[in-house]
Amino acid sequence: MNQSTSQSLVTTKGPIKRISKQEKVSVFWTLLLIVIACIVLFPVLWVGSFMFRPDAAMFARPTEWLFDPTMVHFQYVIENGFIGYLGTSFALASISTLLVVVLGTPAAYAFARFNLRFRDDLFLFVLATRMAPPICMVIPFYMIFSKIGLIDTYVGLTLAYLTFNLSFYIWVMSSFCKDLPLALEEVAILEGHNRFAVFLRVVLPLLRSSIVATGMLCFIFAWNEFMFAFMLGGQEVKTLPVAVPELITTQGVRWGPLAIVGTLSLVPVMLAVFLLQKHIVRGLTMGAVKG
Amino acid sequence: MKTTIRPLENRWYPYALLAPAFLVLVVVSLVPFLFAMFLSFYEINFGRIGGFAGFSNYSRLMDNERTWNSLWVATKFILIAFPLQFILGLGGALLLNKRVWGRSMILPLLFIPTMMAPIVVGLVWKVMFAGSWGLLSYNIVERFDFLQGTSVFSSPDYALLALALVDVWQWTPFMMLAFFAGLQALPVSPYLAAAVDGATPMQMFFRLTLPLMAPLMVVIGMLRFIDAFKVFDTIYILTAGGPGTSTEVPSLLAYRMSFEQWRIGESAAFAVLVWIGFFVLCSLFYHTAKKKLNVF
Repeated sequence: MNQSTSQSLVTTKGPIKRISKQEKVSVFWTLLLIVIACIVLFPVLWVGSFMFRPDAAMFARPTEWLFDPTMVHFQYVIENGFIGYLGTSFALASISTLLVVVLGTPAAYAFARFNLRFRDDLFLFVLATRMAPPICMVIPFYMIFSKIGLIDTYVGLTLAYLTFNLSFYIWVMSSFCKDLPLALEEVAILEGHNRFAVFLRVVLPLLRSSIVATGMLCFIFAWNEFMFAFMLGGQEVKTLPVAVPELITTQGVRWGPLAIVGTLSLVPVMLAVFLLQKHIVRGLTMGAVKG
Repeated sequence: MKTTIRPLENRWYPYALLAPAFLVLVVVSLVPFLFAMFLSFYEINFGRIGGFAGFSNYSRLMDNERTWNSLWVATKFILIAFPLQFILGLGGALLLNKRVWGRSMILPLLFIPTMMAPIVVGLVWKVMFAGSWGLLSYNIVERFDFLQGTSVFSSPDYALLALALVDVWQWTPFMMLAFFAGLQALPVSPYLAAAVDGATPMQMFFRLTLPLMAPLMVVIGMLRFIDAFKVFDTIYILTAGGPGTSTEVPSLLAYRMSFEQWRIGESAAFAVLVWIGFFVLCSLFYHTAKKKLNVF
């Protein structure tokens, strides 16, 4: 008896010490993580260097690591209307995101809070809309849009973007709505406020940061989108991603301008990854993992 | 008075909240689906709808070798990419879960490949493997004699492998951060108990971490599987399905069929079938996630 307690004391000492050791910041693991991050991001940085690289230094064999920076590629980008495509991308992503937030927030709240008939079926319909491969949508969209004159218009592309963004927004926001405490709404209703006022004055302010985060993700998805913009737009409404393959011509590839366009398209993405850290995981897993 | 009104109010109120969004979703999702279904039963010549065709679009699709080829290509693509993403993602998550300095700075940086435009991902790797001068094609592929006189993406043997590796680069960070979020949410007490019992780190990993993480792994795995099946942008810019049909995944086949060969009827049939397949996968994902993770 006595022996066994003393023995267990001895054995517990070790592991607890081990745990407290783990609590300390480890230099080795930190360095390893930094090395991995550098390797992962290296291709992006390398391509970024093409922005300032003279053509001769790009095609050099063996690889030239150092070069005299040049600005000619920027000149090309400005002279060939890429700033306009940037504006188009921004406008399209903003309009569709705004619409999604206005339409989607009440729907997400309804899914989270009420016992709806056919809730599972409706919810699954939303999910299936999100997950459907864009190529499946683009074929019927193309046929419909060319009949009613929506090809190459902001309206057409905004509608097309609603398929994946509205469904995404409803799905992820309803997971945020579920996290809100019920008590506040109950108190407000007991005080005699009507339900819609409760939604506007109690629920919406509580959801503010989730709305911003989810809306920002919608913005990025629209900003990055290629297939719809390529097939349903392209002339009047040309976004930045659509401009990328056009620089790959039969006469050759304009690597410098490509690097600039690619880097420009990274700007909102960089902002998002730093501002949204935890929300990204939740968003990309459709709310299955709560970041 | 009010107590009698409220239950009544309750009956239509949630549907009123849902109505605008659902109206839009029906227009942008259900209508295109039904229209694709309609198209798939008609003869369509250069965008003009002709006579009723019955199931001939479907049977032509089934007879087409390229249909089956595309499914096989997608299977190979997923079989290469998915295990790598899974293992590297799990390893990375375990590493992130150590007490490391500056995690909140490194973590967002790691997310860049997943969040950047897929078309730009393609562009980045096009530069890395370009012709005879790209950083990797000159310094690795050529130096170590992997390939001669051709580039990685125009070699029938290596193009798909290279595309799968690009997918690994793009999506491993997602797996890693999802698994990391799962690790962070694990309960502490089983680990304390195991430590008291003198369990080794290996035992803790196989007896505690893996079983506790299993439901999350299944759900994330399903999600990645569904997503990997619809890859388009990176393949379009890197190989456009070639050389030949060696990297022609279903999305690319549907694109080539409809917008290069204008066989709209057949590609509508293809879209309908893929759509139904995805619906089954989605409902599987939904019910699994709901049961295993207690979400939705």
